[in-house]
Amino acid sequence: MVTGLGVISPLGNDPDTLFSRLMAGESGIRLMTADGPRGQFSMIAAPVEFDPVQYFPPPQRTDNLDRVSQISIAAAAMALKDSAIPLTDDGKRRFGVSWGTGMGAAQSLEDSYKQLLLHDPDRLKPLTVLMVMNNAPPSHVAIQHGLSGPNLTYSCACSSSSVAIGEACRQIRHGYADAIIAGGAEAPLSFGLYKAWEAMRVLAVPDRANPSATCRPFSKNRSGLVLGEGAAMVVLEEREAALRRDARIYGELAGYGSSNDPAHLTKPSVEGQAQAMALALADAGLTAGDVDYVNAHGTGTALNDVTETRAIKRVFGDRAYKVPVSSTKSMHAHLLGGAGAMEFVIALLAMQQRAVPPTAHLEVADPECDLDYVARQGRRDQNIRCIMSNSFAFGGTNAVLIARQTEQ
Amino acid sequence: MTTTLETVREILVRKYSLPIERIQPEATLESLNLDSLDLVETLFEVEDEFHIRVPQDGSVDLKIATVQDIVDVVNRLVAMQKPLQLAGGH
Repeated sequence: MVTGLGVISPLGNDPDTLFSRLMAGESGIRLMTADGPRGQFSMIAAPVEFDPVQYFPPPQRTDNLDRVSQISIAAAAMALKDSAIPLTDDGKRRFGVSWGTGMGAAQSLEDSYKQLLLHDPDRLKPLTVLMVMNNAPPSHVAIQHGLSGPNLTYSCACSSSSVAIGEACRQIRHGYADAIIAGGAEAPLSFGLYKAWEAMRVLAVPDRANPSATCRPFSKNRSGLVLGEGAAMVVLEEREAALRRDARIYGELAGYGSSNDPAHLTKPSVEGQAQAMALALADAGLTAGDVDYVNAHGTGTALNDVTETRAIKRVFGDRAYKVPVSSTKSMHAHLLGGAGAMEFVIALLAMQQRAVPPTAHLEVADPECDLDYVARQGRRDQNIRCIMSNSFAFGGTNAVLIARQTEQ
Repeated sequence: MTTTLETVREILVRKYSLPIERIQPEATLESLNLDSLDLVETLFEVEDEFHIRVPQDGSVDLKIATVQDIVDVVNRLVAMQKPLQLAGGH
């Protein structure tokens, strides 16, 4: 059962603000400047507005926490508070953390090289290792709340946090933990990492007239993905325990499907994506007919959107044309390792609030993308029994999460 | 002139928000809730502040338990090492 949500997102730092802005079709994408070696440089991205002092009031320190840790700790605390789960000594022994990221503390790693190569080859912050290791964020979360259940970090590019949530669900189902705080984060807006993405030529060309409309999934004139930053965490609790304590329940994580595309590092495959969706449905004991909303991976790249459309058709059959499929990346951009968790949270809120967020900026669809993408306008008063959230990654990892309304 | 102890105390106050009256020479780092990672960080600050380097070759005993132990290490290194010419300085 999902009983708590927490987000630090490009569209606000709480789930309700995020969802209402998505429903309004607002975009967090903008042209911004960052520090580069030759002064400031311009990038198109969706940053979070995050004031560390608000979340880490002095004497708490943040100088040994990369941004990815800071936003993860903040989102986790929010989700735990939201769940109102009592943290007893026994409970904490059976409470784990499951977290995913693509690039982890990229900013701090970059800063450390900058310091060594440009300033002084002998002077590096003494705790650099502890800042940049990929499991720093979930470990800080566990320390802050005294959680001694399994503490696991997954890194499989853009599926990372979906995998973290799906694997956490299995941990609980198989009895290794009673509760897990699961999700992920990414803070990729550093000079070096931005340039690395740019070099691959997968970033969207900024829309000069309206930068906020740069990411246009499923559009005929889409030109690529936009990088975003953020963290999203959910509290997963064993079903009976959640019902017993009369917890507020956002939905039941009913199915998780995981598959791989073994043919190519970056080229997605219809087979692999369809396999993950079918596995998730089977795991949930549901059929495509039960799904009332799909939050698509929908990156806005040429390859992804067509491949995902075909994969949905393969799994959903005729229903593919009836089920609303939207890409909220059009507004919060691509949070890479944090994307899956953020979009799962959004899909849960869609179910809870009976509202489907739109695919923004979709004027004319690619002829090969012919599903109902909920173009430009969100829909309210929708009966959403069950949601599917798709994540597909460089490297090949496909991860699909399915949640349904609770049967009490 | 500022003594070594005063500077070490300033560093600990600045870095760990410790009340200065608790930072007595005989105070153990443990009693100040400072762990081995805090010590490594403190030595890093001390190096900058005193323009010294704590060698990585094990030639200086780093069995540091108290504030006075830090002061002693600094004083020994200041005496041993010619102040380094650090780019930029302070």
